[in-house]
Amino acid sequence: MKYRRAIIVVVFVVVALSVQTTLFARLRPFEAAPALGILVVIALSRHLSPEAALLTGFLTGFFEDLLADSVLGLWALTLSVTAFVTVRIRDRLADDVTLVGPAVFALSLGALALFAILSTIFGQKTLADAGLVRKMLLPAAYNLVLGIVVLPIASRLLEVQRRRAGGWQL
Amino acid sequence: MWRPSGVDRATGVFLGLVALSLVLVTFDVRSSGSGGLGETLRDGTQAVFAPVQRFVSSVTSPLVDAVEGISDIVSLREENRRLRDEVSQLEAQLQETTALEARVRELEDILGVEPPEDLATITAQVFAVGISEFDHIRVIDKGREAGIAIDMPVVDEGGLVGRVISVTNQTARIRLITDPTVRVAVRIERTGETGVVTGRGNGPMTLEMFNTDAAILEGDLLVSADGRFPAGISVGRVLESARAQVGFSLRTSAVPTAELSRIDFVKVLVFTQDEAALVDIEEDTGTPVTVPVEDQGPPSEGEPEETPIGETAGTTP
Repeated sequence: MKYRRAIIVVVFVVVALSVQTTLFARLRPFEAAPALGILVVIALSRHLSPEAALLTGFLTGFFEDLLADSVLGLWALTLSVTAFVTVRIRDRLADDVTLVGPAVFALSLGALALFAILSTIFGQKTLADAGLVRKMLLPAAYNLVLGIVVLPIASRLLEVQRRRAGGWQL
Repeated sequence: MWRPSGVDRATGVFLGLVALSLVLVTFDVRSSGSGGLGETLRDGTQAVFAPVQRFVSSVTSPLVDAVEGISDIVSLREENRRLRDEVSQLEAQLQETTALEARVRELEDILGVEPPEDLATITAQVFAVGISEFDHIRVIDKGREAGIAIDMPVVDEGGLVGRVISVTNQTARIRLITDPTVRVAVRIERTGETGVVTGRGNGPMTLEMFNTDAAILEGDLLVSADGRFPAGISVGRVLESARAQVGFSLRTSAVPTAELSRIDFVKVLVFTQDEAALVDIEEDTGTPVTVPVEDQGPPSEGEPEETPIGETAGTTP
């Protein structure tokens, strides 16, 4: 059964990154697109075991690194941090669902800011981008909106699997 | 009461992954520019992921077409009026250009300058973009098998788009000229003065001139100078006029002439320079020889076609 959960996670990530690089290449309201990689890591980290969530964050980030034009490891580090913070706050989010939206926005914004700083440190000149603030705020806002759809889907898929498997272990 | 669960073990795993990420970063930074495992992994991932991207792109394109169609209807009337104006302007320019071409030919004869060799081009379609807003890359559906190689310049009907940074058998990745790490040697078409434009992501590019005496006027066309790109390709238009102040460099902003936010079809120019020449040019940044670029006409699929480097569509004298 744990393989089925792993497959769900892999499919979720691959679909998200495919949509990110194709559909949102053309569908860009206000010249920006959501950061689906971050959103998926947040969505999955709410339901996986802490170790599995961290591994998912790292591997999703590594996959993004391989598709991106940035230094290898930067997205892996950024999404590991995102998964870690999500794991740390998820119990509070479960207690008060009104915090989920602001948390998705804040985590997305924080992840993009962290990536911008890290990539600048490693020579990508990301902070020199004239539209930097917009490039962080709009994707975070879009993540907040898409979270309404993506988070329940992730919850449904993984919760169903958890009930069938009878545990959290991936 | 909220209490973090499994934090201790998770923190250990987290620190391990952070360390691993930093090892990856170090490894990639040290091996950058020399190919190596990082490039191989990237190329392999792109090759494996491209079919998935193509499939998702074909599935989602009707939806995007519908959305774009709705938004286009709104702007069609305005677009019509603008195009009519543009046609009348272009007709006038065409007459001037014909006269100028004859004059250039005469001058070339006088100076003994050979006209540039025709460059072959490869038409390709953009089917994917970078993974985040910070990535200024596009993925095209032609690769090594079509004759594309690293460092080849890429243009669209508006002008310079970027250059090829990695190639697989069937895909290639292009870094756009708006990437903050990209600098393009340019010449102002009106004055012949040279300078450098630097990408600034989504914002206008920065233009810095070598000669601070000559003024730059709003709307001045910037064409590529010798260097990484063939000379004479339209790069951008000056956004604000600028005049040098004593003790300051002459700097202003410019917008790309290529429609980078809506790239669909592009042409890859089969143009390479040997590394030694590149280094010389980039370090020296001397006055380049430039030649205007000619309109390419409608793109066609398949084998590389011969395309003269001439004027770029939409240029003004």
